[in-house]
Amino acid sequence: MLLTSVIIVLREVLEAALLVSILMSLCFKLGIERSWFKWGVLGGVVGSIGLGSQLGFISSLFGGIGQEVVDAGLQIFIYICLLYICVEFINHYYQRHAVSGTLRAVLVIIILCAMSREGSEIYIYLSAFQSLPHASVSLYSGSIIGLGIGLSCCALFYYCLLSFSLLRTLILGCMLLTVVASGMLLQAGKMLIQADLLPDGQLWDSSAVLSEESLSGQLLYALAGYEATPAPAQLVLYLFGVVCMAAVVLTRYWHWQRRKVSAKVAGYEE
Amino acid sequence: MTAAFRLVLFAVSVLFYMPAIAGKPEFEVAIRQHLFEPSVIVIPANTKIKLWVSNEDTTPEEFESYELNREKVVLGGQRSLIFIGPLPAGEYPFFGEFNPKSAQGKIIAE
Amino acid sequence: MNSLRRFLLVSVLSALMLVNFIAALHGYRSSMVEAENLFDQKLQAMALQLSSVPLRTTNNAPAPDDESMVFQLFNADGKLVWHSVHAPDQYIAANEGFSENNFNGYRWRTLSYFNFVNGHRIMIAERLDLRYRLAESVILESIVPVVVVLPVAGLLIWLIIGQGLKSLAILAKILRGKAADDLSAVDVGQAPNELMPVIESVNSMLRRLAESFERERRFSADAAHELRTPISAIKIHLHNLRDEYGQDNESLLSLERDVDRLAHLVEQMLLLHRTTPDHYPAKFERISLAALAREVIAERYGDFVSKDQIIELLGSDGDIDGDRFAIGILLQNLLTNASKYTQHGGTIQVKIEALENRNRLVVVDNGPGISADVKERVFERFYRVGGDRHSSGVSGCGLGLSIAEHIAELHGANISMAAGDNDCGLAVTVDFPKTRTALKASRSLAMEKYGEKK
Repeated sequence: MLLTSVIIVLREVLEAALLVSILMSLCFKLGIERSWFKWGVLGGVVGSIGLGSQLGFISSLFGGIGQEVVDAGLQIFIYICLLYICVEFINHYYQRHAVSGTLRAVLVIIILCAMSREGSEIYIYLSAFQSLPHASVSLYSGSIIGLGIGLSCCALFYYCLLSFSLLRTLILGCMLLTVVASGMLLQAGKMLIQADLLPDGQLWDSSAVLSEESLSGQLLYALAGYEATPAPAQLVLYLFGVVCMAAVVLTRYWHWQRRKVSAKVAGYEE
Repeated sequence: MTAAFRLVLFAVSVLFYMPAIAGKPEFEVAIRQHLFEPSVIVIPANTKIKLWVSNEDTTPEEFESYELNREKVVLGGQRSLIFIGPLPAGEYPFFGEFNPKSAQGKIIAE
Repeated sequence: MNSLRRFLLVSVLSALMLVNFIAALHGYRSSMVEAENLFDQKLQAMALQLSSVPLRTTNNAPAPDDESMVFQLFNADGKLVWHSVHAPDQYIAANEGFSENNFNGYRWRTLSYFNFVNGHRIMIAERLDLRYRLAESVILESIVPVVVVLPVAGLLIWLIIGQGLKSLAILAKILRGKAADDLSAVDVGQAPNELMPVIESVNSMLRRLAESFERERRFSADAAHELRTPISAIKIHLHNLRDEYGQDNESLLSLERDVDRLAHLVEQMLLLHRTTPDHYPAKFERISLAALAREVIAERYGDFVSKDQIIELLGSDGDIDGDRFAIGILLQNLLTNASKYTQHGGTIQVKIEALENRNRLVVVDNGPGISADVKERVFERFYRVGGDRHSSGVSGCGLGLSIAEHIAELHGANISMAAGDNDCGLAVTVDFPKTRTALKASRSLAMEKYGEKK
């Protein structure tokens, strides 16, 4: 029971908290105020309970594949939001202006969606098993250990990201967000395959090298959506995610670089 | 959520899903006292199948398999659908993530 | 990293938690494996014993069991000859050795053991959920403290970090509480080695600053003092020249005005230096604000008459502890300013009010007043509203209010400016503490505020 609780809580917490720590450190470095954070967390808690308590209904949608469709939809939505956030962060780096309400709202929505998705499973698990008389001690200590490990990892990760210079944090942050966002697409792919909306298959099996159950496997899963036995459709989605996001981010970056150079040239000509 | 809204969602979902329903072999697995019954399911290899998981406990269970790349929460008293395959011949263990010690089983494709 | 303390607490606690929890998990896992081994050994011993039981018939009565452990015994022919009450009729396990099986609605750990001596096969099964629960309840005893103790660890780390950063907090407090004109060295007591370079460089900076302040102060005072003699000489020469060239010579008249202005400036500069709170040898006595105000108005009455201005003194009481000469200068400066910048026929009022714990002196006029953005600057030395092109067209050196501020500070009084009655004109308010003890307290407060403003 203890180990089960640890694994369930840790898996879900790691994913959402990693995303939060990347976003928080970028906002800190870019001087974007972080009051959005508490609203996102609050919404995430409410969303978790809402999604968890409505899961029975959601599952029955679309002829029994509602859970997969909603999950995949949320993941794809988060991917798009992260794409927007990355672009905004780069804009903000080159041109410090007041943070728009849209950016703040999108940040809140990302946290809300990511937390609801992960938190609903914890909610279902805890609410179902906390009533068992012999289980509560191991259930709660397991949950605290899982929560503790997840949050510690992310706090240390957050301070680690803060220790770099602004430009490095931005580059690293955008790269991490690209990987995380593409991992979300990969998982969305998994859900769509499970719902039979995409073809299944197996490209390779790397579970002997790094199993998904191990702690490092869980970490890599949370960070980059690691799968030991991915389907071709998942890989295609993942690569699409990486290429698309990298292309948008780099285009934005080059756009600002060019403007900077031309501004300099104009400065010399004067 | 109002009843009308639910109804609309339902109608949309049925429309959306119609084509996928047709012609796939179906299998049943039940969850009783955190055990999969039957714990061994034999399915044809290289065929897409529909696996119905009905949870007869009051507690929820998450059907999970790293080998099959599947995870789905099945609430207490609920019957859920999971598509599996087409699989090459072999053994594919699965377990209930909420009770991994007792809820264990495997799919054998042959 | 807004707060060093928070950063240290969070990162240290995170590292501690991560390491501790992973260690606890590791311990849990290996303890569980160890416990499983123990249970398996018990099964093995029981299997050995049961399979050696000599059986006379092939139809033995079922043995009682507690539903958590069941067995089947097969003879050499593979016939089920003995079993416990709840054991199923079929083979529990297909394979030799340990395996896990589902029956009776539970998952069981099963051992299938073949006794080579009598050819018996024993299958003994133990409920997995029960033995798992038993093992976990034992191991949890050592895991729970690791979790429970964490808040204590957090509190301890918080206190220890606070202690470690104490000298930094003391330094910050000293620097924050330092008045602007307090340039004495900072003393933190026993500072750690890491902080010493900071304290040393702050102290050396303060020392250099004090020296240069002192130089500047002495220079202006010395210069003013040195200028007095030649100005007096020039005045005598001017007097002689006017005798020579006639009293109505235009150039000489304007030269005389300029020399008067120069003399005034030099006097004011000396006064400014002398009234600096650090230097002024104040002789405090009980003085009546109203009486002193009356004296000063009488002295300056000519100014008001020449501009057709009405001067009123309102209120009577208001005794304060103060230096007669300095308060006289303060009143003089405020009244001169009011007269100077108020139009012909204007009204100037001096109000003296006794408030709860202070006496208030207000000089209010109905002149043009000053705009909010320059209010802060008028106390600066040599600052004049609108520069020398002030709309009133009167000359001045811009030191009057600086001197007034010095004197107010000397008395622990608070000087402020606001618009006059009906939002026109200017009201300068000076709040004096009523008694000497209050004065001392508010004086140190005023020094601090003065420091913040700078």
